[in-house]
Amino acid sequence: MQSPVTPLKDDFSLDLATFERVLDFHVRTGATAISWPHHKGESLNLTIAERKLFAEAAVKVVAKRIPVTIHVSALAVEDTMELARHAQKIGANGILAITPYFWNPSLEAIDAYFTHLCRSIDLPVLSYNSPSYLAGVEITGELMSRLIQRLPNFVGVKEASFNSEKFLEIARAALALRADFAMLTGVEFLLPSVPLGGVGSYSAAGSICPNLCTQLFDACTAGEWARARALQYKMARLWLLFRDQYPSSLKGGMVIMGRPVGPTRPPLPTASKERQAYIHKELEALGILDTEPHGW
Amino acid sequence: MPFTGDHRIDFDRFGQLIDFHLRHGADALALPMHAAESVSLSEDEKRGVLAFAIERVRGRVPMIAHVSNAGTAIAAQLARDAQAAGAAAVVATTPYYWTPPQTMLLEHFVQIGAAVDLPLFVDNAPEEMAGTKVTTELVLKLIAELPNFAGVVDLSLDWQFMIELMTEAPRRRPDFQLLSGTEHMVSAGAIGATGMFSSLAAIAPRLVRRLYELCREQKFFAARPVQEAVAALRQVSKSRGPAGLKAALRIMGRDCGEPRPPLLPLDGSPYEKLAAELAALPALRDEPRGW
Repeated sequence: MQSPVTPLKDDFSLDLATFERVLDFHVRTGATAISWPHHKGESLNLTIAERKLFAEAAVKVVAKRIPVTIHVSALAVEDTMELARHAQKIGANGILAITPYFWNPSLEAIDAYFTHLCRSIDLPVLSYNSPSYLAGVEITGELMSRLIQRLPNFVGVKEASFNSEKFLEIARAALALRADFAMLTGVEFLLPSVPLGGVGSYSAAGSICPNLCTQLFDACTAGEWARARALQYKMARLWLLFRDQYPSSLKGGMVIMGRPVGPTRPPLPTASKERQAYIHKELEALGILDTEPHGW
Repeated sequence: MPFTGDHRIDFDRFGQLIDFHLRHGADALALPMHAAESVSLSEDEKRGVLAFAIERVRGRVPMIAHVSNAGTAIAAQLARDAQAAGAAAVVATTPYYWTPPQTMLLEHFVQIGAAVDLPLFVDNAPEEMAGTKVTTELVLKLIAELPNFAGVVDLSLDWQFMIELMTEAPRRRPDFQLLSGTEHMVSAGAIGATGMFSSLAAIAPRLVRRLYELCREQKFFAARPVQEAVAALRQVSKSRGPAGLKAALRIMGRDCGEPRPPLLPLDGSPYEKLAAELAALPALRDEPRGW
């Protein structure tokens, strides 16, 4: 599943025409779903009005070819609720929401948050668990069980602890209650998650290498482990390249691939010419320039 | 490590435990690990335990000696002694207590490795070691500096680390090994781990062996239910530490005594609670009781 970057003009304002191109590119190159705006889409550096505007564009451009979910996590829970209601109004297929930022909420507070969110809308809700970015705040297996039992539209999790024990704890709890609960992960960590019940991943580098994403997904779900390992290692070298100043380097890489999407909003830096040259060299060494689409 | 009522090493029981592991298919023994209260053994006792185990095993399986210490020279000496005693490899964690930067870690491991001709494995166990991590960068430096640096035993369970490690390290040293330091082997195995260190094999040797074999055969989908059963057992035992392991062993009919201070034995109602939790695990029904 692809989570598009957010194209910006040189003055850092939204670039709607290019965003439409990005969306269409992902749909044409094998994305199984679109989800916007992830942190990689600079979600927290966009105003709520901007997020609504592009959410509407995403639903319109994708035009039901694949599902569209809206990432509604905002610093203020009130804004999250507003974005969730908006996503429903514009015809999105679901929403994604992380545990609340900053406040180190207790398990009870996380429980209340997801309960309120799920009861505010009729759309399917995907939760997002990311303890390493949120000072250890996480959804435990036990809390996951409670939420699933209480909330019919609580349908999955983006489990981004990237840890065998935590992923399995949640998978065991969730899949025992609901066999079609969606155990998803992030970056493209399919090789370690699919054998534990994972059914997919959001992609970090999909705007660079959609073909590699599809091949990795196919190899993992087919249980072709030797092939999957080679593809995952290749993907890991891309993650090493892009996680530094993410998503600035990713946007820098898109220039190389003939799909420029403009600068990155501060406090994130914009990839310099030198950084772009380095990325070019690495992409060439990995064979990406020969195996992945150039231009739109 | 089995202890008598007055906290001395119970070598009779220890011998029995070694035989038990070999009878149930252990491919190698690693000792004395943290689960065996290595940190509560004196240096002389560690040497004695290793010598006893090597004598008992008589070459049937390789012996991996655990030589972790706070002081680099002490750890290096333990490694030298292990080689003299006939160990097949040594394994070491990051140093205890100190919160070393990566340069100190490099020096620590290089001195341990240089003390022996045996393969050296390094533990990455941030949760046990107050957050100190082994990074991929450190591993690459160890490969460059130590011809006998053989691999990493991972207890971090961190996908990002393991994938990065296996993307980079085998390109420098083709026989580099990633070993799973816990019974969470499915993800590690998919990423490329070839072995597993297990303390839970003392409780459920058949279950652990089945998990290992499925992973070695790359049957990761088939391994998932077994991994879930092992995870359930691990969840019951993990927070209780070596005291819980010993209590579980008693429940399984293989009494190894109580832990040494400062660990407190698990008795009274916590013991009963553990017994009830273990009784509720279907996977334990097929496991051996007694020796």
